[in-house]
Amino acid sequence: MRAPIAIAGREVTRRVSTLGALARFFWDALGSFATLPQAGRRVAQRVFLNQIWFTALQAVPLVIVLSGLLSFLVISQAVRELGRLGATELLGTLMVVAIVRELGPLLTALAVAGRSGTAIAAELATNKVMGEVDALEGMGIDPLHYLVLPRLGAAVVSVFCLIVLFDAVAIVAGLTAAAANGMSPDRYFDIVLRSLAFGDAAVSIVKSVAFGVIIGTLPSFHGLRVRRAATEVPIAASRSVVGSIVAIFLSSALFVAVL
Amino acid sequence: MPTPLEFDDVVLPNASGTVCHFTVPPHQVVVISGPEDSGVGQLGRVALGLERPRRGRVLLLGEDISALPRAAALAFRRRVGYLPAGDGLLQNLSLHDNVALPLRFGTGLAERDIEGRIRIILTMLHLSDVGLARPAQVNEEQRRRAALARAVAFDPELVILEQPFDGLTDRVAAELLEVARGGVSAGGSRRTVFITGHDVPHLLRQRVDLRYRVVGAKLVREA
Repeated sequence: MRAPIAIAGREVTRRVSTLGALARFFWDALGSFATLPQAGRRVAQRVFLNQIWFTALQAVPLVIVLSGLLSFLVISQAVRELGRLGATELLGTLMVVAIVRELGPLLTALAVAGRSGTAIAAELATNKVMGEVDALEGMGIDPLHYLVLPRLGAAVVSVFCLIVLFDAVAIVAGLTAAAANGMSPDRYFDIVLRSLAFGDAAVSIVKSVAFGVIIGTLPSFHGLRVRRAATEVPIAASRSVVGSIVAIFLSSALFVAVL
Repeated sequence: MPTPLEFDDVVLPNASGTVCHFTVPPHQVVVISGPEDSGVGQLGRVALGLERPRRGRVLLLGEDISALPRAAALAFRRRVGYLPAGDGLLQNLSLHDNVALPLRFGTGLAERDIEGRIRIILTMLHLSDVGLARPAQVNEEQRRRAALARAVAFDPELVILEQPFDGLTDRVAAELLEVARGGVSAGGSRRTVFITGHDVPHLLRQRVDLRYRVVGAKLVREA
């Protein structure tokens, strides 16, 4: 009887300790901004822009396809079904609540976590295995300054921009779907814009920052946690994507409960 | 001028707990060699405060780096050139950008001055033609040359080299040692050079001022 309890206890302790290490890592990464040397800012900026290129700009086609298809499908069905019930007014609520507030940030964050989160974890894990992280430390360059901080910042900015893009494309694709099902563009915009409040945009912004922090922190944490074996690289990538997805869903649920 | 490097009854964190007590005098080339499990591979890391010894004290340019706060220790390390075992070049940067990294990060030099200095270093190490290549696109000798170029880019007074000559011919090893020394001064070489590795190429033995070897768990000075 004692053995299973002991095993469960050990597992809980391990997970809590990992969470503590993750929180400390995030705190250190944030705090490292204050100690970033003036000369190092130029270098960190370059890495930041590279990450924006990879995480935001290269993900634009994926986000457009995801958002366009989702919105087109949902709005097509909604116009048909709600029209039958004489409740097309609810289309705006559906667009704002389901797509702009919930699915937009969620799907964008999942796409970025799958695409860039794994890449960050694999890249940093490879840096570690190849001795590059030690070499940086040996040269007096803090890996938090050079590797983590630019990726964290870029993840937050990228997720925010991609969520804005997702919402914009969703509204335009929704218009196409509504028009294809016989609704005039004027009426569509009237319904959607009437339902859209400042609070919805604010929720989207808060979510984008939270998801960006998750995608910037978790993969970096798992990537830099490997030791010396190349076999740890795919494990780090897998842990980071699973952890990011769980964290994104959990925080999404938290937002629904709190906001 | 403080002693560049001093190991004061240091016990290395290897299995046998090798005891090290030695000094690297200014303008001298000092080599410590020994088998893989002797802890020789940890000397450079312990010297730079990247690894803690089990016991004893290391003074780097007169400072106990392990006692410094992290930010100060990082800033302090920028005064020392370091070539880690296995070169440690960043794979996603070109050789040129790898060499430029410590200059861009650790000095307030303008980009134009940095470019000028890198051009000279790359020419000196015969890397001008492959400057834009990534580490994976060049051979081992060129990678080692680039790693040395990075270590001496900001002209440090002390250079720590870990296994710098493994896999190189004696002629190339001698050439790289000369670059690490940075020419001659009244007291010997212009820079102080501390080398660790499994063995020293025969041709280089005459160019080294002090040689130690780890035997058992002790450091023995060689003639």
